[in-house]
This record gives sequence, structure tokens and C-alpha cells, in this order.
Amino acid sequence: MASKRRSTREPSDIEEQLDFFVDAPPDDDEDDDDTSDDDVSFEDDGSGNDGSSSDEESVYSGLSELTDDDEIGDIITLKNDSESDEADESSAGEEEETESKKKITEEAEEKKLEEIETEKETQDSNDRDQRIKDVSSKKTAKKLEDKALPKKKLRNQKLLESHLNRLNEEKQETEEKDKFEEDKKEDKERTVDISSLPSSSNEKQETVDEYEYDSSDEEDIRNTVGNIPMEWYDGFDHIGYNVRGEKIIKPPTRDELDEFLSKVDNPDYWRTVFDKKNGEDIVLTDEDLDIIERIQRGKYPDATVDPYEPYVDFFTYEKMIHPLTRRPEHKRSFIPSLSEKEKVSKYVGAMKRGWMKTRQQFGKEQREKEQRDVYYNIWTNEEDTVLSKRQLSHIPAPKVRLPGHAESYNPPPEYLMTEEEKLMAKSKEEYSGRPRFIPQKYDSLRTVPFFRDFFRERFERCLDLYLCPRQRKLRTRFEAEDLLPKLPKPKDLQPFPTTLALLYVGHTSYVRSISVDPTGQWLASGSDDKTVRFWEVATGRCLRTLEVEGPVQCVAWNPNAAVSLVAFSIEDKVHIVNPKLGDKLITSGTDQLIADYKQPEEVKTSPLVEWFEAEEKKQEEGFRLCLKHFKPVRQVTWHGKGDYFSCVIPTGQNSSVIIHQLSKRRSQNPFRKSKGLVQCTSFHPTRPFFFVATQKHIRVYNLIKQEMTKKLLTSAKWISSIAIHPGGDNVIVGTYDCKLSWFDLDLSVTPYQNMRHHKQAIRSVCFHKRYPLFASASDDGHVIVFHGQVYNDLLQNPLIVPVKVLKGHSITNGLGVLCCEFHPNQPWIFSSAADGIIRLFS
Amino acid sequence: MASANSGKGGSRLQAKFFTHQKQYSVAETPFSVPANIVVSDLSDLINKLLSEDKTEKEYRHVDFDFLINGEFLRFALSEHLEANGISTETVVEIEYVEKFPSPQPVGSVLHDDWVSCVKGCSDRILTGCYDNHIRIWDTDGKVLYTFEYHTEPVKSVAWIKKDTDKCTFASGSHDQTILIWEWSEESQTQRCLYCCRGHARSVDSVAVDDSASRICSGSFDKTIKVWSTAQGEESPPENSEQERKKVKTDTPKPSTRTPLVTLEGHKEAVSSVLWLTENEVCSASWDHTMNIWDINTATHISSLTGTKAFLNISYSKQSKLIASGSVDRHIRLWDPRQQEATVVHSSLTHHAGWVTSVSWSIDNQHQLLSGGYDKQFKMWDIRSPKAPLYDMAGIKDKILAVDWSIPELLLCGAADNNLHVFSSGGIKLHPSEDGETMER
Repeated sequence: MASKRRSTREPSDIEEQLDFFVDAPPDDDEDDDDTSDDDVSFEDDGSGNDGSSSDEESVYSGLSELTDDDEIGDIITLKNDSESDEADESSAGEEEETESKKKITEEAEEKKLEEIETEKETQDSNDRDQRIKDVSSKKTAKKLEDKALPKKKLRNQKLLESHLNRLNEEKQETEEKDKFEEDKKEDKERTVDISSLPSSSNEKQETVDEYEYDSSDEEDIRNTVGNIPMEWYDGFDHIGYNVRGEKIIKPPTRDELDEFLSKVDNPDYWRTVFDKKNGEDIVLTDEDLDIIERIQRGKYPDATVDPYEPYVDFFTYEKMIHPLTRRPEHKRSFIPSLSEKEKVSKYVGAMKRGWMKTRQQFGKEQREKEQRDVYYNIWTNEEDTVLSKRQLSHIPAPKVRLPGHAESYNPPPEYLMTEEEKLMAKSKEEYSGRPRFIPQKYDSLRTVPFFRDFFRERFERCLDLYLCPRQRKLRTRFEAEDLLPKLPKPKDLQPFPTTLALLYVGHTSYVRSISVDPTGQWLASGSDDKTVRFWEVATGRCLRTLEVEGPVQCVAWNPNAAVSLVAFSIEDKVHIVNPKLGDKLITSGTDQLIADYKQPEEVKTSPLVEWFEAEEKKQEEGFRLCLKHFKPVRQVTWHGKGDYFSCVIPTGQNSSVIIHQLSKRRSQNPFRKSKGLVQCTSFHPTRPFFFVATQKHIRVYNLIKQEMTKKLLTSAKWISSIAIHPGGDNVIVGTYDCKLSWFDLDLSVTPYQNMRHHKQAIRSVCFHKRYPLFASASDDGHVIVFHGQVYNDLLQNPLIVPVKVLKGHSITNGLGVLCCEFHPNQPWIFSSAADGIIRLFS
Repeated sequence: MASANSGKGGSRLQAKFFTHQKQYSVAETPFSVPANIVVSDLSDLINKLLSEDKTEKEYRHVDFDFLINGEFLRFALSEHLEANGISTETVVEIEYVEKFPSPQPVGSVLHDDWVSCVKGCSDRILTGCYDNHIRIWDTDGKVLYTFEYHTEPVKSVAWIKKDTDKCTFASGSHDQTILIWEWSEESQTQRCLYCCRGHARSVDSVAVDDSASRICSGSFDKTIKVWSTAQGEESPPENSEQERKKVKTDTPKPSTRTPLVTLEGHKEAVSSVLWLTENEVCSASWDHTMNIWDINTATHISSLTGTKAFLNISYSKQSKLIASGSVDRHIRLWDPRQQEATVVHSSLTHHAGWVTSVSWSIDNQHQLLSGGYDKQFKMWDIRSPKAPLYDMAGIKDKILAVDWSIPELLLCGAADNNLHVFSSGGIKLHPSEDGETMER
């Protein structure tokens, strides 16, 4: 074997050599027993014939050797036979095997010869191969020397190493080495002898081993015809030839009777089989039967084979504390790999020379390079980069809708269109110009025709993707609560009226109108029971009652605190009364003022109105003036300064609004044309504006320029009342269709906000003079108080928050609260209702 | 015995009783009382302790009320402790005081119109009425005299001086004047001494200082005026022409008096004025503030700011607190000594409407009366702010004025035209009389 290796190594494979040499040195460290071990055995597969193997083993091996040898002998003989008989095809395979074995043995002999030759050659060798062999032999020689010459050992090693290097680099011959060769000549000869002898024995063993389990000879070769149909021999008296070439005579043919007799007599008839090849009966043994039975059952023929052996997981992930085998670790595992060493040295060399770089070095270089080459793009500016970034950012293409059941080749019947639907679809198609998909049913996918619009659709999709600019959709999340305006809590908007504080009881019929005096001490109310009452606000005490000739439509206290006058309308008359409440000086002053009036020379007054002074009797009660109109007066409104007041005569056609001047006792009709059914009027608190509410619109007139400045569109069906914010820029409008509208005159002519909190018609609306409050009174018996903050900042819209629903009034005859009015100074509200009671909420 | 009765089940508490009323003091040893004991049982317990030393005859049974940490015990002891967060593990210190006897209705005195103001002094009662008259009554409910000079409803009255035969008082009215009257009971003669002119609106409140030398008045015209009550110095009717005119229009019987000081500063009507000390006046206004003024220098000293318009205030010299009634349902107690105080000392809440009138007890620092538009006339002990001591029933309309100037009588003028009189002593002053006989 060793010789064989050497022969393979012959084409000067340096690596192999290196391997060999590197492997060698640890031998020195081995036990002294290993002295018998030579390089060959060391390189061997380790088939158990180590010198260190136990006695028993050696005995056994010896036995096996013996048996093997015998067998080989047999085979050889057989082989010779078979070679002689070339027609025997059945044993062809075996022949090859035996041949190869023979070759091995021959080779072994050859090697022996070779070795002998090398012995001779060493003396005069210049050949490289020889040299290598020499080195190896040197090594073994050195090993032997070790004991005798321990000092030499070191030197030898060094020499070896240097020699190795030299071999690696240049493989040049040296004189030193020659010297060595000369020195160790004799030793070498001995080693060769030693190595050659066991190698031959090794070879012999191997061949024997090979045949130990060979079953080829078990074949029945009595008839050598081979595997042919035996019918071919039907016409002959023989059935083939034996190994010697003699005819095998056919057994005598048996007739049916014999068959039957044997069937009856022979107890083993059932297990008797006729061997056609050899022409004889074979009685199957129990083992044979067992095998047949097993095969029939589909089992393994061999009973000993268990296909379902419990699996032993040798290579588990679990770490085992004991090794799997008792076998010690191979020597190789302790020896550093030469090839790796080679590679490492190669890499080291490469790194030293700078051909190879570590990752760190590479990174460092890169960085240095980057630092060196910094280029500034002086033409870019930030905006562009931002823009380009946005443009370049990937926006995924919109996904194509996945086909649904309708697009299936075999859609469920409910998806299939009826004829009518198909017609409809077609008409739609014509109408929209876009083909509509009509689900169709096919028996199988195979029958589905090619989709005719496929290419067009693909193309269109491509166009869509290419041409249609895509935009990143900013997904915004809306919650219902976010849509609601963030209003402050009513609690934080105090003060506002919350509870019923006082009742003003006395009227027996609808209290149509109430009015608070500008100081807030008195309250005037006019009722359908033909009385006008004056109340003390703080106590609810009625201090004065005026009996009048008819139901009172409207009561209005003069807003000028320096004058003590109340105007109220009864049918077509408007009375002006001094209630004689409050400051005596003022009341007397007011009387004086009226008495001091002197008829002007030029009377230029409207013929529609007549001014009277009250009769003596009535003068005592407080009546001062009476204005008789041509039609019933519905509303009386004072101007802020208390000199002018306007009367609304809804049925008055083109003179439905008349403005009176108290100091001059003059009346004028400001409008020539009727703009509609006038509902109510109001003066602007600070500027010369006049608001006229007709059924659906509110017109704002500038009294100085005598023109209309604005027309507010309420979108209401019937306006019931209006109120002007004390600032003058905001108007609230109550309508009979339950709607309360807030107009911001600076903003637009349409309502800034519409509020529908009442369930019934709104009768009255009012603003508080001081607090940011306004209220609406309705037929449903409720008064709703709102917080209405108006800001000086024109950019900020008014803040409107409903804060309180004031209940308490009962509904009589479908009428609820008829009038509401705020206290001028306190956050209190008065409300008068159809039940004849005035309530104060504080 | 009481503890035995109520100690059937439940836990027991350690309680120690003490009192500031010396005649009722008991040993300060802790007692074990049932947790669910109520006032009557506790009262019996104290009575038993007190009677141990004395014989049956000489001992008089006294009802007691119990205070824990300055609050009246009103329901079972354990509930009270739980509500006030007092530990039941330690010995509970309970103060007991003689129970204020429940007021008894004496009767009601019918007027011609709403009784807007009432003031008592020793045994005479002065009422102002919406029929423009002032009446003087004795405690039996007999009208002694009717003063007719005001031309508008009388809003407030105040005693200036009351001697046995002669008494003087002031009245403010809607007719913007304050009249100072003198009345002699023996001779049944009355004189309207002075007519104080100067207010431009109704005089809602008049108050006389302790020395009876000055009158302070608050009016709806936002001003406070101080007038002298000194007799003899007839102020000549000079001043402006308007003043003179007014004198002309009125009957020239009483001499006109002009204010000593006019205090301006309120933004709204002044609803109530009172004297805190000799020189300090407190005024309550609808502008949500109470101002304290120095009369000598006519300057504003401090303000107490509320959240609602004030209707009436009352000052107790004992407790040094101002009680206020305002346009909500709370009675608030203020400490006027606190500078620029905005914090309410405490509030008594049991009314359902505006509290129009409050009046401290003249001799008890804890008790006050209140009346409101909810027709409820209540007696309070400020140590139990959650519930009044007593509710006086029988008032059929809005209460406009209450008074406790006579310690034995609780007076209440209401919009049902009656002056309701209750006796506070627990003994009926006139058990034979009822409302009917009291009627005029």
C-alpha cells in the first residue's frame, strides 16, 4: 500500500510532500513503543494490525489470515477454471473481482521489486523522486536515531525545516542534503527492509477481507448453461453441461400417475419443487418456506431485519458529557493543518506586500479617499433638493381591483345578467362610452375565449401609470367629535339667568309686551286684559295699573334715563305716559318738557297721524300724549336717544312704518313704497341706521343718506322679531318657523349661524345691554338663553353658545312666551307669557 | 337608661361630654355610648347625670343640643361622625348646650298692604307698609299709631331712640325721602321732625348708629348718604333751586335736612346699609359688592366681592360677622375685618329662592333669622350650616323683612300683608291669643 502511495506521489506533488513532512514530526512525541511503527503503518487506514494491538486481536487476525488464505486459494483455482471456460457467463462479475485482487497481489510483488530497486538507486540517484523518498527515509532514520542521538535531533529538525523551505521556494539541490544522504545511507537501507515487509502482509490481509462476505460462490453452478430458457434443451436428452463440460442427462420424465402416487405417498410433496435447470426435485427447507411466506406477505425476506428499529439520535443538539465512541481522537486533529498553514502564510505574505487588505484597512482607505475628493455642488439650492426629493419619492402605483365573483368564468347565477339588464348595460355603455363588463358563464376554463380588450386594457393601464401624475394622499382621520365646534362649557360662561326668582302676578290675560326702565328698577307690561302695569322689579310688586281702552300690543320704555316716559300701543292709538316712577325730578322734568311744547307755525306732519294731548282726567293718571293712527299699530320702538320712535302698522301698505319725533310732535313716513308686510323695526343703537324686517328680509336703511345699505337674507318664511346687538354690528332674528338666526353685518348678508332650538314659533328675541347674552322666547313655553360673545377683533367670529333653557311658563291657547326682555344691569331676564304671568329668571 | 335602650346592637363609641354652660357641667369621664344614638337619647343621658346629685323635685328637665367639632348633631352619632370624617376610634368630645326652644307662633298682624320692613325695640314694633304708612305696634299686636306722611311705599324703618314716653325713628321710602319721626306714646302725638332729601331714587335702607346721632341711608340711586338726627338745628332750605322746588311741592311741615356725607362708588343700587362701628358703614349693593366706608373721612375702606347682587345684610356685634342675603338661595357670612376679602366665611344654604332679609340675634352670637321669596322663614345656628335650626311655617307669600331686635320675638313681614310674630323663648307669651285676635 505504501509503495502504491509513493507511486501516486511520484509526479512531485509538493503539497503532498509537505503534508507528509508536517505530519511526521509529532511522531517524535509518541511513545517509545511506536518505534516499531514506521511511516507506512502510520499512513495506513488502521485496519487493526497495529503493533500496539492486543494479543487476542493478533491471534484472531492470524486466524482470519489463515482462512482468508485458504479461500483465496480456492478462488484462484476456481478462477482458473472459469478462465478456461469462457462460455460461463454467470460468473463474469466474480471473475473481474478476482482479477483485480490478483492484480493487487501482483502489484504488491512489483512494489517489492521496486523497493529493492530503489535501494540500489539511492546510491547514485539524481532523480527528484528518489530524493523525496530519501527524505522520508531520512525521517524514519532520524527517528531511530533519536534514542541514540538526542542531541542530534534538534539539529536535524532545524535542518529539515530549512530544507522544507528551500523545497517550497526553489527546490534546488544542496550539498548539505547530499551530505546527509551519505551519512544515513546504512540506516536507510535497514528502514526500507522494515517498511517493505509489513506492507506485503498488509496487502494479503485486505484481499482476504474482501472475500469474507462474498456470496457469489453460493450460486449453483452444477449446470453451466447459464440463465437461459430451459425449453431450448427440450429436444435433447441432456439439460446442460457441468463444469467439466460433461452432459447432464435429463431425468426420466414422470407421468401423471407417478405424480399422483408421489402426491399421495410423499408427505413432503407440497414442499417439493422441481429444479428445471438441474432436473431434480428439491424439498424446500423450513427456512426457505419461511422466506417465501415472508415475501408473500410483503415483508422483508430476512426475519432478522427490523425496518422499524428505534431511531437513535446520535447527533443530538444536546451536549453529551461522554464521547460517542471510545476511540481516541485521531492524531490528525491535534496537528495543525498544513494546507491551512500554507494558506495563512500566503495571506500573510500577501498582506505584507499589500496585495491584500483587511476590512478595516479598506474602510480607512475609503474614508481617506472620500475626504480627499470632496466636491461641492455649487449650483444646487435647498429648495430644489427638497422639491426633487419629493418628486423622486416613490409613490406606489394604484392597485388594480382584484376580480370578483362577477369576473369569474363560471360566476354564481346571481351575478349573471338577465336580458333586460344586459340591454340596460348596453344602453349605459352607449351613453357613457365606456364598455361595461358583462359576466358570462362558461362550462370550463378551456372554453373561455381570449379577452378581447386585454391589450387595450393593459395599454391603458400603462398610460395611466405613466401619464397620470400621482399624488401622495395625506390620510386624515376624522372623528365625529372633532367636527363639532369646541364650545366652552356653560358653567364657565356665567353669569346668566338660571333659576326662576320672582313672579309678577296681576294680569289676567296675555301679556303681549314688557319693557324694563333703563335703571332697572321698574318693569312695564301691557296685556290683553286692557291694562298696563308697572312693577317693582326687586319685589314683584305692582305699583301702578293703568286701565286702557283696549288690549295693549306693545309697551316701550323710553331708553333715555333722563326722561320718564312709556309708550304703548292700543289698536290704532299710541299712548305716551309718564309713569311717575323713579326720580321725582325726572318725572317732573318730563312733564315740564311735554307741557312746554308749543305748536310750531309751520305744521308739516303726516296726515296719517293725529297728535292729541291727554285729557285732564287722564293727565292725573299719567297719560300725556296720544297718537291716533289710521290703522292698528303693532309695534312701538324708541330710538336710543329717546326722541324718535317708530310705529309699525303692518296693514298700512306704503306707509306701514311711521317715525315720530316726540319733541316736535311730528310724524313722517320714510318709505314711499311698500316692500312687504312689515313685521318689526329697530333703530341702530349708535349709528343712524334703521332696520325694517318684512316677512322674509331685513332691510337696513341709512337715515341720513336716506338709502338702503343692506338687505339681510334670512331664508326664513316669516320673521317675528329682531334685536340689535348693543355694539350694533350683529343682529338676531327670530322667526315663526322656529329658527333663530345670527347675522354678522360685517361678515355677510346671510346668517352667520342658524339655531333651531325651539320647537315652536319664536315670538321674541332680545340682547342684554351689558352681558354677552341674548335670548329667544317661543310658543313652546321656553326661553333659551345664549351666550353671544362678540369680539372687537374683526377676524374673530362671534362665539355663540346656548347656555340655558328656562322653563316654567304654561302654554295657553297654543301660545307660550310672548315677550322676553333682559334686565339692563343684572344678568336677569323677564319673560311674559300667555298665562298672564311675568317671570323673572336670575 | 338611654344607653341601655339603644344599646341593643351595633358598635359603641367612647364619648366625653363637656359644656360651657357652668350650671349644666358634668364630670369629664368618657362614656361608652351606642354608635346609633340620637340627640334625644343623649339629652336624656345628660339629664340623668345631672339629676343624680339632686332630688327629683328640685331638678328641672332640660333639653340639650350636642355639638361635635362645632357642628350640631342632627342625626345618629355614627352617621354624623362618618359625614364629618371624625374617627370613631378615639374618644369623641361632645359639647352640649341647652337646646334652643322651638319658636312658637304668637300670631300675625294684618296690614293693609305688603309689609316691607319691620323693626322691633324692647316692646314696640315698627312696620313699614306698601300702603305708604308706618305703624307702631305693641307686642300684643295692637296698633298704637299710624304715621301717614310718605307718598310712596315705605321701604325701611329704623329706631333712633326709644324712651318710655318718647321715641324717635326714621323711615325711608320710595318717595326718595327719609323722614325722622317723633312719637309720644302717652300723649299719642306724632311729629315728623325732618324730611331728609337728597336721594334721587327710592331709599331702600336706613340704619342708625349706636349713639343714635346719625342715620345712614342707601338708595337705588347708587349712593349712600349720612344724615344727622340731632334735633334743634333746623337746616335752612337753601342749596339748589331744585331742592327748593321739592320743598314747595311737599307740605312744608317737616323741616328739610340735607345729607352730612354722600358716599358714591357703587355701580348699582345700594340695597342695604349698616353701621359696623362708630365710624364705619357697610353697604351692600346690586353690583355684587359690599363696601365698607369711613364716615369721618368719607372714604372707601375695603370691599367684599360676591357673585350675586346683595339684597340685605346684617351685622352681629357678638360674632363680628356680616350675614348677607342675595339674589340666590345662599346666606353668606362674611368677616368684614378681612381686607379685600373675596372669600366667604361660610354659607348657609337651605332657601329655595332669593334671600331678601337676614337678621342676627341681638344676644346670641350663633343665631340669625332669614326670610326669602320662597316663603320660608328660618332660624339658623351658624354651627349647623347645612340645615336651619327651625323653620317657621305659616307664611303665605314672599317674605320681605325679618327682625330679631327683640330677643323674645321673631318678626317677619311678608307680602301676604301680615306681620308674623313668633316667640323664641319657648314659652308662649300670650297663649290665649291666636292670629285672629291679633288682627287689627
